Amino acid sequence: MTNTNEFISLLASKLGRPTPTQAPEPVAINVPQYRSSTRKDRASLFLDNWHALGGKGMIVKSPEETMQCLKEWFGDQQATWPNKQQAIVAWDMLPTVAEFAFAALEWPLVRYSQEAQSSPDRYSLAAQAELGVTGADWGIALSGTLVVNSSPQRGRAVSLLPPLHLAFIEASKLRDNLFDVLEELTSLGMPPSAIEMISGPSRTSDIEMDLSIGVHGPIEVYVIVIDD
Amino acid sequence: MTMYDPTVDQRVDKALANDFLRLATRRATDRLRNNRVKAAEELGDWQKWREAGETIRTHVVANLDFYLKQLITQIEKQGGHVHLAKTPAEAVTFVKNIVREHKAKNVIKSKSMISEEIHLNHALEDEGSTVIETDLGEYIIQIAGEPPSHIIVPAMHKTRQQVADLFEPIAGHPLTSDTPTLTRFVRNKMRESFLQGEIGITGCNFAVADTGSIVMVTNEGNGRMVSTLPRVQITLMGMERLVPSFRELDVMLNLLARSATGQKFSSYTTILTPPKQASDPDGPEEFHLVILDHNRSEILGDKTFRPALNCIRCGACFNVCPVYRQIGGHAYGSVYAGPIGAVITPLLENDWYKWGHLPFFSSLCGACSEACPVRLPLHDLLVKLRARKVVGGHTPKIEHQIFKTYRFFFTHEKTLRKALRLGSKLQWPLVRNGRISVGIPPLSNWTNSRTLPKVSPKSFMQMWSELNRN
Repeated sequence: MTNTNEFISLLASKLGRPTPTQAPEPVAINVPQYRSSTRKDRASLFLDNWHALGGKGMIVKSPEETMQCLKEWFGDQQATWPNKQQAIVAWDMLPTVAEFAFAALEWPLVRYSQEAQSSPDRYSLAAQAELGVTGADWGIALSGTLVVNSSPQRGRAVSLLPPLHLAFIEASKLRDNLFDVLEELTSLGMPPSAIEMISGPSRTSDIEMDLSIGVHGPIEVYVIVIDD
Repeated sequence: MTMYDPTVDQRVDKALANDFLRLATRRATDRLRNNRVKAAEELGDWQKWREAGETIRTHVVANLDFYLKQLITQIEKQGGHVHLAKTPAEAVTFVKNIVREHKAKNVIKSKSMISEEIHLNHALEDEGSTVIETDLGEYIIQIAGEPPSHIIVPAMHKTRQQVADLFEPIAGHPLTSDTPTLTRFVRNKMRESFLQGEIGITGCNFAVADTGSIVMVTNEGNGRMVSTLPRVQITLMGMERLVPSFRELDVMLNLLARSATGQKFSSYTTILTPPKQASDPDGPEEFHLVILDHNRSEILGDKTFRPALNCIRCGACFNVCPVYRQIGGHAYGSVYAGPIGAVITPLLENDWYKWGHLPFFSSLCGACSEACPVRLPLHDLLVKLRARKVVGGHTPKIEHQIFKTYRFFFTHEKTLRKALRLGSKLQWPLVRNGRISVGIPPLSNWTNSRTLPKVSPKSFMQMWSELNRN
């Protein structure tokens, strides 16, 4: 069993110098980054990439449009869900437009972190749900990626265990590339315990390189971009 | 004395006789290669990204002591536990002790090449725990009891029918071999395992030194399951797998995803800073990071091979390698196959008898170096490894003898002339259809699979002096 100092000083000796006491000067990174010309371009590139990954996505301007979109996507399925009271699991707090739309449609939301006392109970809640609903902290236009931070009011399993995942994101939270998101994350200081970057549904090509969707994570992914 | 493991030739012969393996390997590597080229072009100015990748990796490796210390300090400050393993055996012991301490019966694993390197699964099963590989490809080869044949697509060598045959006894009913059926079976089967998992073991694509974060890339979502649901998380990490801060992740994640599968990013890129915060509704309460040396410090101290630590394990070099594409991963016999495997295995394992063949599993065409997203000069390192093998005296006596003889003749012109004249007269028992095709050892090593041109009745030197005279 090696202690830290021993381990580190071995590396220093292999490098032929004492371990620096100050952080080395960061290297200059010089890569061309994608920049969109307008906010509208950014949103449409985000949605194009999201669609290319197999996700469904829509920009909404009002609560009415949100309801319309939800009905279109989930209305028929919802009628067939056996346990409607427990079918949709969500974060404690969703963007206002989302809260309004679900309330107006009278589709009950199970609040993941409040409903159950222990983690295993929460997991069962999420595992038996048909749809998980979350917000998102950023979106990346260049890759069609949602970036979702964990917090006590949220829960990582909501976007993971149900077969369908729906995320709401304000258009103002879309960024051009990962670099910009990482800059903002850095400026937050201590990162949350999990930052999940989600680019489309769960997928695998492990059997004869044949693409298959929905092996462990969500099979279908939806995003509603709120034009704020 | 034999200087190399005779099973090497057996493995190669076996691979060459397996038509499905060879077809599947070519098909899959073609696809992965084409996807990579497309994704690289799309990003624009790929060479700049590669240069940035090389710069970042070289900087990290050159300051590995500082960044590793920073990472360890940060993780311990956040309440995580760090275990430093000099050897694979030590790493296994660390994991075993954690499993034992929690009396855990159900261990779930997402993909980790370090766990392959230290042969973890068997060790845990001997302890009486059930260890389940949750990546579909890893699950297939776990049931089959085989090592991965490709670093990104571990079950590349399996047909769908073979997969169905492996799953059927577990399902307890017949399964058709179409992909949706097989995937659905695994989804349902694995759900129970995820929900029952007491300890989750993950790999680590990058660790972020200044925040104490672990970055993990998966497509199936199993990595997220394993790092979200169990109460205890163990992450296995190769000592060199670091970036200084979030700032460098943009370049590294773009290079990794695009080079590995040609995706912009993998479906799930997870940046974890464990353990969970007290009031988080899910995530691990307890976090252990096992950091493995296993002769990486020796590579660090060896300036010639230090760049080998820059690798980000994307597998791009596998897909373009004319040797890998002919024989697949199992013929290498090592945990890491392909060009990078041929470079690092002899260095990590420090066993020339067992792994000395690997630097020769290359045509030195340089396709690997050109594909590498962090610009590793792989073919150059392979040549240097070959040299190291000879200088270290790890080649057979007969080879020494041959080269000594060669040197003697080629430094003694008159003797060489005589020998060639003699050769052209005495070679007839070995010649068939104008080529030397029958040989006695050691010549037979060559003539068993190919022919040699026969010695010409008139040597070049003769022809040259005749030419000069005219």
